[in-house]
Amino acid sequence: MKKIFSLVIVGFLLLLTACGGSDQASGDDKGSDTLKIGAIFPLSGGLALLGEESYRGVELAIEQRNKNGGIADGKKVELVKGDAPDADSAQAEANRLINQENIKTIVGSYSSGVAQAASEVTERNGVLFWEYGAVADSITDRGYKYVLRTNPPASYLSKTHIDFIKNYVADKLGKDLGDIKVAIAHEDSSYGTTIADEAEKLAEKEGINVVTIQPYSAASNDLSSVVLNLKKAEPDVLIAVSYLNDGILLHRQSQELGLKVPVVVGSGGGHDMADFIEGVGDIGDGFFNVAFPQYHINQEFTPGMKDFVKLYKEKYGEDPRSGHSLVHYMGTNVLLDVIDEVGEMDPDKLRDAAINYKAEPGQTVTGWGVEFDPETGQNKLSEPYVHQWTDGKLLAVWPEKVSVQEPQLNK
Amino acid sequence: MTIVQTLISGILLGGIYSLISMGLNLILGVVRIVNFAHGELLMIAMYISFLFYTTMGLDPYVSAILVIICLFLLGVLTQRFMIQPILDTPASTKIFATLGLSIALQNLALMTLSANHLSVKTSYQTSVINIGELAVSIPRLVAFGAAVGVAVVLYLFLQKTLTGKAIRAVAMQKQAAFLMGINVKRIYLLAFGIGSGLVGLAGALLMPIYSVYPTIGASFILIAFVVVVLGGMGSMFGAFFGGLIIGLVEALSGVIFDPGLKEAIYFVIFIMVLLVRPSGIFSLGKGAEEVGLK
Repeated sequence: MKKIFSLVIVGFLLLLTACGGSDQASGDDKGSDTLKIGAIFPLSGGLALLGEESYRGVELAIEQRNKNGGIADGKKVELVKGDAPDADSAQAEANRLINQENIKTIVGSYSSGVAQAASEVTERNGVLFWEYGAVADSITDRGYKYVLRTNPPASYLSKTHIDFIKNYVADKLGKDLGDIKVAIAHEDSSYGTTIADEAEKLAEKEGINVVTIQPYSAASNDLSSVVLNLKKAEPDVLIAVSYLNDGILLHRQSQELGLKVPVVVGSGGGHDMADFIEGVGDIGDGFFNVAFPQYHINQEFTPGMKDFVKLYKEKYGEDPRSGHSLVHYMGTNVLLDVIDEVGEMDPDKLRDAAINYKAEPGQTVTGWGVEFDPETGQNKLSEPYVHQWTDGKLLAVWPEKVSVQEPQLNK
Repeated sequence: MTIVQTLISGILLGGIYSLISMGLNLILGVVRIVNFAHGELLMIAMYISFLFYTTMGLDPYVSAILVIICLFLLGVLTQRFMIQPILDTPASTKIFATLGLSIALQNLALMTLSANHLSVKTSYQTSVINIGELAVSIPRLVAFGAAVGVAVVLYLFLQKTLTGKAIRAVAMQKQAAFLMGINVKRIYLLAFGIGSGLVGLAGALLMPIYSVYPTIGASFILIAFVVVVLGGMGSMFGAFFGGLIIGLVEALSGVIFDPGLKEAIYFVIFIMVLLVRPSGIFSLGKGAEEVGLK
């Protein structure tokens, strides 16, 4: 008994640690006309789906630039990738890229856990770390010198949630702010917890009534208890922060157990995905989703999006599976602009140039402006938008500048 | 009312856990292999079920029998070509072998099938039976019914048939069984095959409830091991009731305390049970896991 049991435990420890690995043929130095950029993404393991989707955005931006004559007087950019399914391997891969590949700029990473771990290593080594997709506020809140982030952090998503309720939903429901009952269901890793905590704080400030908060593990096989607790609270608005599998489960079980909420708002993650709407079916029609920009959006505000989608289809033979590739493409383009201006890979010069880099809202492919906070490295002009699932498509609906359709509240 | 609904949800969830755990328990009890790839067998079963659905339009419940046959054969092949050659090696070697198989299968699925979450669309996937305010999910009820059926049939098979008795004999004392003229290797093949076939059934019945992706096994395998050890290794009814207990604890703690705490709570209960009854609730007592099946 003891023997078998201890073997079971040993086995699980192995299972936990055995998920590392890397797959990069060694990048020989191709002379001074090549500039090397490292990329760390979860390309295997549980985060692989969106990790790979994100990586495609980086790959596309660099290929496009190389094809159009390169940067900094015709230099080509070489992308060296590292696979980091979890935090430990992120550190290992960052070390490898820095010490063996002699890389001075690393980009990433979709996953907050990976970004945290990798940026610890880059900061110690004085290497620049550009985050394009991970949302944990702490990535930039630590005040690290060599960390820059183009995408909005979790707290910006919470702000959009509350702004949407305050400036649109309350009016349409015909209720005063104080009478609106908001419930939050979130997965309990740092992604869900940050958004939920921040949303609760902002709601309190606005006098919005948060009636219940339900944290749960994303690995759950059953969310009936969450659904029943929500049902008891009778909310007008449900803010859900979920990955894919738990998101599908939450809405399917809500349907089974008879939970009806007038306004359901997701928070990116699982709610972005085509597989999500496939999984929940008709129930999902009309769900809102506060998220990174997707593809059905006012294209006058997001110049270059058509080209991106075309490029994507040519290379991968399918439509983009979510907006993750787009935001990584946008971020990579900012980096390439900055390198183009500086002409070399010196981290200090690149950082200074990045801080001085400015773009107005409506000028980039995501519609975001660019202005990095010199203290934290966070892009202050990035913002999530409100989308709505309509006939299997995620349409941008709010704010007005990006919307292709008025939000439909009574679907 | 909420509590009654929670009990229903918990028992139905428990049925799913039982269904997955019984196959694992059979393999553990007879072949004495801690099969870490069991979760991946579930994943494969779900993909096969999905394949039948997309290519031939077969409903997962209809194709269940085909999935069971596929998984039975897969189990037999695994036993013959992977487990049998290493049966006489130390237990740690076997663990590395099945763990390696688990990781290999996961990544193989990731490479060939990508990490997409695939779901089937059935007319009944969110159907419920309403009794007053209470709701009973039909696909979950079906899975629960199957778990009860499997527990009973497996019990009768092991107790009443000659083959079943041979399996138990091998589980108790393989040398003695061998001397009595039982073909031990064939019994191993059969046990691994049945264990895998059961997970095939589980996969088919879970397809209307969950979506399938390469790492889905991981979210069930840990719980399956807890269920097996809690119920008592080698005990079929132990696995059945162990599953129900974990399902109930999970659902109840979500409502009474906090959904985020449910893993913590069932692990605390798990550890407390092991302190009092180290060989599991339904075992014969100390050292019972070494006497095989019942």
